[in-house]
Amino acid sequence: MKRYSLKQFFQDFYLALILIFLYIPILTMIVLSFNNTKSRTLWGGFTLKWYEQMLQDQAILNALNNTLLIAFVSALIATVIGTASAIGINSMKKLPRTVLMGINNIPILNSEIVTGISLMLCFIAFGISLGFKTVLIAHITFNIPYVILSVMPKLRQTSRYTYEAALDLGASPLQAFFKVVFPDILPGILSGFLMAFTMSLDDFIITHFTRGAGIDTLSTLIYSEVRRGIKPSMYALSAVIFVTVLVLLLITNFTPENNRTGSPQGNDAALVRKRNRSARIRKGVLGIASAAVIFIVGFSTYSRYSVSHSNELYVYNWGEYIDESVIEQFEEETGIHVVYDLFETNEEMYPVIEAGAVQYDAVCPSDYMIQKMAENGLLAEINFDNVPNIKNIDPQFLEMSREFDPENKYSVPYTWGTVGILYNTKLIKERNLPVPERWSDLWNPAYEKEILMQDSVRDAFMVALKSMGYSMNTENPDELELAKQKLIEQKPLVQAYVIDQVRDKMIGGEAAVGVIYSGEMLYIQEEVKNQNLDFSLEYVIPEEGTNLWIDSWVIPANARNKENAEKWIDFLCRPDIALKNFEYITYATPNRAAKELLEPELRNNQAIFPDTEKLEGCEVYRYLGDETDAVYNSLWKEVKSN
Amino acid sequence: MRQNMKRLLAGPYVLWMIGFTIIPLLLVVYYGLTDKNGTFTFANVLSISTPEHMKALLLSLVLSLISTVICLLLAYPLALILRKRGIGQGSFVVFIFILPMWMNFLLRTLAWQTLLEKNGVINGILNILHLPNLAIINTPWAIILGMVYNFLPFMILPIYNVMIKIDDNTINAARDLGAGTLQTLFYIWIPLSVPGIISGITMVFVPALTTFVISSLLGGSKILLIGNVIEQEFTRGSNWNLGSGLSLVLMIFILISMALIAKYDKEGEGTAF
Repeated sequence: MKRYSLKQFFQDFYLALILIFLYIPILTMIVLSFNNTKSRTLWGGFTLKWYEQMLQDQAILNALNNTLLIAFVSALIATVIGTASAIGINSMKKLPRTVLMGINNIPILNSEIVTGISLMLCFIAFGISLGFKTVLIAHITFNIPYVILSVMPKLRQTSRYTYEAALDLGASPLQAFFKVVFPDILPGILSGFLMAFTMSLDDFIITHFTRGAGIDTLSTLIYSEVRRGIKPSMYALSAVIFVTVLVLLLITNFTPENNRTGSPQGNDAALVRKRNRSARIRKGVLGIASAAVIFIVGFSTYSRYSVSHSNELYVYNWGEYIDESVIEQFEEETGIHVVYDLFETNEEMYPVIEAGAVQYDAVCPSDYMIQKMAENGLLAEINFDNVPNIKNIDPQFLEMSREFDPENKYSVPYTWGTVGILYNTKLIKERNLPVPERWSDLWNPAYEKEILMQDSVRDAFMVALKSMGYSMNTENPDELELAKQKLIEQKPLVQAYVIDQVRDKMIGGEAAVGVIYSGEMLYIQEEVKNQNLDFSLEYVIPEEGTNLWIDSWVIPANARNKENAEKWIDFLCRPDIALKNFEYITYATPNRAAKELLEPELRNNQAIFPDTEKLEGCEVYRYLGDETDAVYNSLWKEVKSN
Repeated sequence: MRQNMKRLLAGPYVLWMIGFTIIPLLLVVYYGLTDKNGTFTFANVLSISTPEHMKALLLSLVLSLISTVICLLLAYPLALILRKRGIGQGSFVVFIFILPMWMNFLLRTLAWQTLLEKNGVINGILNILHLPNLAIINTPWAIILGMVYNFLPFMILPIYNVMIKIDDNTINAARDLGAGTLQTLFYIWIPLSVPGIISGITMVFVPALTTFVISSLLGGSKILLIGNVIEQEFTRGSNWNLGSGLSLVLMIFILISMALIAKYDKEGEGTAF
């Protein structure tokens, strides 16, 4: 017996290890949801404020709503179609059955990225605009196979004679099915439904490719937050979901004599049936509880979507690039309903506009992308009679805009800034590192694993090109080749290539220097103060000059509500609105009138509004044509794969 | 007659699969075999042989193979223990291992970032204990960890589901006939659980091979996997033809998996659910 218990100890130990491994990230998230600071690594005391924020955050609640609704509806439809087809397939001859089961395996085995992309191509090819319904269709598509796979084995186990006996005894086929076959395959149907629900809930990749304007699930919302730093209210939500599911699970499994999935081994058939029944009752309770939740969720969604809006405006903007109350104010003042959607990169936005997958009315791309869109005929000329507030924009920026919009007819500047180096004063001092002043300092071996570089082609090449004194708009293959080698040479020194995460990583003290957009500085300085950090983060514009960028509003050629878009742009140029947005986004505003309203301390903050002489040697990105773009992309791939 | 009626029940499904699985895949084939102007070309598919794509593919293959092996080594003993003890009897076990999936996949992976970071939770604890720091974030090891973590349930469940169908009497018979622990393992358990093992391997290997999220979150975007290449062609490079062409290459591995499943798991026993 002793040997046995030792063995059992090892087994328990092993089980515990695996469970710890599986649950430790979840535990981490739950702990973080009570953390008083935004930092993911510092404990700032216990708080419930993220839970309060979660309940007030409309974006999170909408995403939760969509996620649950899509998971429930897609699982339900998939269960109906899947069960019916399992019955159908089961009665087929061997060959068609094998073929169909083979096809059934495709969505399961196919990589999600291929499934997602293929569906996206299909929707776009047939002119189905991306939105709620396309996500739903996609989820049903990958859910059906799971239902079939879990119903099929149960169906095989049922004896066809009982069904035929019922028919012989005078039952109609429907009666016979629901009285005889259905109870036997019910566990399979339920577990198929559950599995479909779970897969749908957890899906990110397929949703990412098939979603359209104004529709976010939790996954896509989180993905867009990842780049800018996850809001702790998201952890709070996850904790709530997790605890809810855990409690439901404990209730339904409270009594351990749940039937095994395999054939019952007990001889007492009546007992088995009784157990099955009690299991079914518990599952029924679970079903009713979840149905009630879903009903409420569904109803609220329905009421939200069923309000028809004849007067609409589809806006496509960067993440966290507007004060949300501005949207509300616009809706109130004009009566126009705004459908608001986000993109992460210019390159991600471009094909969406090009394919017309969603017809946006107002988009906010960057300089070089505006040039590309204009050259490819994707932009409409703005009627400036409808945008009188353009007078508030500093003419300096309209002049700069001529670099990419030569006649100032497609774009209205929204924000601008520079790209520079952010450094951690304490780490620099501690390790006797030089204070960075030039781009070429980022090749100093002393910074090994202390550099955060931008994970975007043009920005990475800008750093390399500028450090060698070349133009960042170069098309010269020799210069580009040199820049590539320079970047490969730098790679061992780089800790990570990131986009917006550079902000949180620098605040977290992860790296000594990082390449960053100037607009992040106010937020960073604020957080350093709020979190009582023992270091400060300073911003320098490198001596060689840098990228001066401008993000501007444009109207796509296929916009359906062009006048509304002009109203929108005009609204954003109003000094009070521009001020509100500046305070939220903290990226420099080109709006002269709004800047006048700022406190002198802010107005003179050199990181945000640098003196004009510091901007000498700076350039604005130009669109270099598809072929040069392709050259940049493939050189960048060489850097990344090296 | 009745059988014919029954077969019709599969009708909606067949239509659905043609509309939303077959046609979309044909579109990928179309894009993959044409260039921007719509003329036929093999260039997109053949571009897999360029050094940077080849490197990404090989690295993906290596990392996903390692992850699959680790998953198998972790999952098999676990499934065996669960089976032998009859723990939880079916659904509870399934719940315990799919429960983490109700926490969002991205959040779980991000939580690992928090744990592994230079100033992260694990290093914080190691510092308190005066132990050397763990520096695996932004390395291939972190990606492997992320893969194992995310896909382990897909290895455990199919194996467990096959194991619970193995009759106790078979095991007892082997014991009675004098087989030792190892002999029972190698001559009874493993051969009988092959469908689950194969199914588990494909369910871990394929998603691991094609992931782009895990590598960008835990690899610091310093490590380019084939999934990242394809994703970037679609979302950043705007070259759908090249992206589709590379996807076609990936589908070869999926076809191999389907063939394996068809060979070893004819009855569809080794499903995860």
